[in-house]
Amino acid sequence: MIREGSIHIPFTYAAGRAASRFLVVLRDEGRILGSPCPACRRVLCPARSFCPRCGEETGEPVVVDPAGTVVSFTETAAGVFGLVRPDGADTAMLHRLLPAGAKWTIGARVRARLLPERTGSITDIEGFEPLEATEDHA
Amino acid sequence: MRRVAIIGTGQTRHARCRDDASQPELVREAAAAALADAELRPADIDAVLLSNMELFEGRAFPELWAGEGAFACGKPCMKVATGGTSGTSACIAAFHQVASGLFDTALVVGFEKHSEGHTQTGMALTDPFWDRAVASGALGNFALSISEYMTERGVTERQAALVAVKARTNAARNPHAHLKSPEVTVEEVLASRMLAHPVRLFDMCPQSDGACAMVVASEECARRACSRPAWVKATATRHEQPYLGDIDRRLCAMRTLRDASRAVYAAAGIIDPLAELDVAEIYEPVTYAELAWYEALGFCEDGGAGRLIEDGVTSMDGALPVNPSGGVLSTNPVGASGVIRVAEAALQIHGRGGARQVDGARLALATGYGVYAWADAVVLGAEP
Ligand SMILES: [Zn+2]
Repeated sequence: MIREGSIHIPFTYAAGRAASRFLVVLRDEGRILGSPCPACRRVLCPARSFCPRCGEETGEPVVVDPAGTVVSFTETAAGVFGLVRPDGADTAMLHRLLPAGAKWTIGARVRARLLPERTGSITDIEGFEPLEATEDHA
Repeated sequence: MRRVAIIGTGQTRHARCRDDASQPELVREAAAAALADAELRPADIDAVLLSNMELFEGRAFPELWAGEGAFACGKPCMKVATGGTSGTSACIAAFHQVASGLFDTALVVGFEKHSEGHTQTGMALTDPFWDRAVASGALGNFALSISEYMTERGVTERQAALVAVKARTNAARNPHAHLKSPEVTVEEVLASRMLAHPVRLFDMCPQSDGACAMVVASEECARRACSRPAWVKATATRHEQPYLGDIDRRLCAMRTLRDASRAVYAAAGIIDPLAELDVAEIYEPVTYAELAWYEALGFCEDGGAGRLIEDGVTSMDGALPVNPSGGVLSTNPVGASGVIRVAEAALQIHGRGGARQVDGARLALATGYGVYAWADAVVLGAEP
């Protein structure tokens, strides 16, 4: 005998102090926050309330640049995903690289593309696109 | 095996909902408090043990999220999962790690945020063939066993209500506790809503958000870092066959807790637990269980528990105060609840119990319990 079924698991997660700040500022101001660690001096992005490496509580969040550098990437059937280190941050963010059809290289310069209508989610950033493309628009 | 002691404990404020903190922030709150109590820094900790009911929050690998709050980065870290006994089992695992000589210090952190998930969903994911379609969760399991216990041992609803009153009034002296009712009466307990006969709302533990941590150290480290270590004198853990129909899981028998307690008493040289223990922190998810545990733990003869609570033997000014903290009945972040029992017992030996301190406590018992009738027992003492 085999028994089959499925599970529905509801959830309601509190983002906590620093991540809430990050999401609110992203939604309302379209800016990306990082948190400085007083011990290792790194700026952690996205913002967090303590440094996982040192255990120290972080200082007041700082605005990091929407422009950054591709640290690594992978092309998948669902799109291109990359690790992007924003200028002014010492850690990378996992996100989509746009457009999927572009020729990607490690070290490529990119810029966050934000949704015009934002809800306070990491997907308020649609992804990171080549810096040249955004400069062409500007 | 080396001697082992608990040299610091820390807890969060426990509440129905702690949405002011993320899971790692909540964990860090307890872990940092335990380190501060032990006057140690994160770098002084060699290994980390976590306890949590992962299905309750619907998060895979909860240790990845909570671990960073427990200062686990770059350290050996593992999660212990044995249901309701997870917290006491994580403590016992830490004792073993330090006793073996593998590590000199270990940090234990238990946590739960019931408000973030759906506990009933987690509880319902039990045995897929026999239990899922017919079981009614922890409450239903208790109720089945309690009816039989009342009939066989002559325990009354009023005696159970006295346990609820003791728990909630004790909790009023514990700044960390979730449910505190210094004025609650037996009549109010008996008038509270019936959940599953004979269990009423005030008979049951709450679901809490909270975390609890402790620092475990080798003898050398403990003597250097702590003026009054809580020495681990004995531990035992017993598991049971899981099917509810297997009759030894009854509250009346509670073979696992009976066996575990006899094992730790023998190892610690305790002959008369009621006379020799100064304080006990026992894992009582429901009032009737506390009465059944008095019997299983040998505090009285079988059938004597009702008399024990009526005579106030286990109240704060009785011969053996049971759960000065207010117990699981007052605070229940499940993954932390077992850690809280051991931490509260250690706190009594440390003499840092504040308004809930039992004067001169030198020998303490802590127990863990899981809904599958698994049991842990730990004896702590002021002397190794
Ligand atoms: Zn740091």
